[in-house]
Amino acid sequence: MSVLLIGMLLLAGLGLGALGSALFRLPRVVGYIFAGILFAPDFLGGLLGADSTEWTRPIVAVTLGIIAYLIGGAATIGQLRQLGWTIASATAGKVSGSFIAVLAGFSLLGVSVVDVPGWTLALLLAAIATTTAPAAIVAIIHQYRAQGPLTTVLLGMVALDDALALIIFSLVLAGMESSGFAAAVPAIIWEIMAALGFGAAGGYLLERTARYLPEQELQLVALLGAIILLTGLANSWHFSPLLAAMALGFFTRLFGGAHSEPLFRPLENLQEVVFVLFFTLAGLHFSPGVVFSHAGLIVLYFVLRAGGQVVGAMVGARLTGAPRAISHNVGLVMLPQGGVAIGMALLLTGVPRLEDSALLVVNIVTATTLLTETLGAVAVRYGLARAGELGQAAKITDTETTT
Amino acid sequence: MKASEWIAAYTAKPLTVTGECSLQDAARILLDAPQSRDLFVLGDEDKVCGHLGLWHLSTLLLAKPRPSQSLRELVEQITPGCVADHMDDRVMCARADENVDEILYRHDLFQQHVERRVEDIPVVDDQRRMLGVIRLSDLLGKALETMNSG
Repeated sequence: MSVLLIGMLLLAGLGLGALGSALFRLPRVVGYIFAGILFAPDFLGGLLGADSTEWTRPIVAVTLGIIAYLIGGAATIGQLRQLGWTIASATAGKVSGSFIAVLAGFSLLGVSVVDVPGWTLALLLAAIATTTAPAAIVAIIHQYRAQGPLTTVLLGMVALDDALALIIFSLVLAGMESSGFAAAVPAIIWEIMAALGFGAAGGYLLERTARYLPEQELQLVALLGAIILLTGLANSWHFSPLLAAMALGFFTRLFGGAHSEPLFRPLENLQEVVFVLFFTLAGLHFSPGVVFSHAGLIVLYFVLRAGGQVVGAMVGARLTGAPRAISHNVGLVMLPQGGVAIGMALLLTGVPRLEDSALLVVNIVTATTLLTETLGAVAVRYGLARAGELGQAAKITDTETTT
Repeated sequence: MKASEWIAAYTAKPLTVTGECSLQDAARILLDAPQSRDLFVLGDEDKVCGHLGLWHLSTLLLAKPRPSQSLRELVEQITPGCVADHMDDRVMCARADENVDEILYRHDLFQQHVERRVEDIPVVDDQRRMLGVIRLSDLLGKALETMNSG
């Protein structure tokens, strides 16, 4: 039955996403999420015999591993050096700003929910708050043909910040799965070292194996096999599957150099499928009752995340002497939150100690994703316009043609 | 026909650059020789160490950010670097004493060339120094001639 449901989710998500985009100019993710809600156990899912969402856990674990692999392989060491200090500092500022603001805000305001310890909710939401949705931001850059220093910084930041977000989320999870501070420190060290070690060894083996597999179809088998095997090993030996998959991507790119494209391209083509799955699965978990009874929390999370990242990114950019056009807009234009945040929230549904928090976190993140994908698009456009970069790509092309 | 005989009969000039060459300069070299779509990168002692094609170069210099692009492609756009940063360092070469028909029968060599959008097959000596190129268009022309005469 779950196989039938996956097929329905994908096609309904595709249909509603495309319709919403064409008829109402809504971000496609809104349609994806509504498709998921349609097939929730309380609605059509119940009629189809899918009374629970437990079957989604292994799918989420593997698909989030694929996304982590792609994020890990997004940049080489040489490219990271070229990105420069402004991008690195603004990204660090944005990520730490949103993390600290959400953590401090939820903790200081004493937000508590029945069955969910206050610190647990605050830490999980703070970790998820650090993510960004690159596609939503790049869509605005593309639509308005933006070009300039802020656009360049933005493109660099979207490539880096989900990597930092995955690291923070993995460490928070490792700490939470341990019992007490004394146990958490060695657990976190093991999570990092084992993930790096297995990821590096896997990247080396994958790249070497791919040399003997000339057909891309066979390379894809090796690639998916490596990610799934690493995810399984991580679950069995208690190290972070996300960090390990990220390390796998990073080291595959490192060992493969310019030749590594065939080891990324097939999964990059699958990325939209993964995100449709994430958003529709998030819709499956969506509960109007939970959302309405925690509307205050949703608004609080949205405001704290936005405020924290605007201030954090501004401080980070100013530290490296970035011009005002960058520092005063860069946090604002990073507002959209998307697939990675949803994937992280969904992953919590499979963590034994966090089951009580998971449903609430999924609903908060899904609701705020709807908010940030719609309001975020406006914020991106406003920030780029304020920096004077909208339409600059078209102007440059025209000038080059006439001279 | 041996590869050495082929490059003597069909004198296609190979385009070569060094790894430190900027992408813009590499593009200019390609534009100055519109019949060629491949740049071969020469390393120490002028050995062939990489390949960069017109298609790849064009995407690096012309492509604008699109939502369908991967993070890897976005990073590539804002970190142009030099030829060595983007070249394919596993370029397949033919030896001078190899038979041209044999080169085409070597499935993996031909498929790799097609997959990596390489149109010229470089012919190298024992030290992997460039002797010339076998151009795909010449191979096709020769094949058509043979078909017509047959």
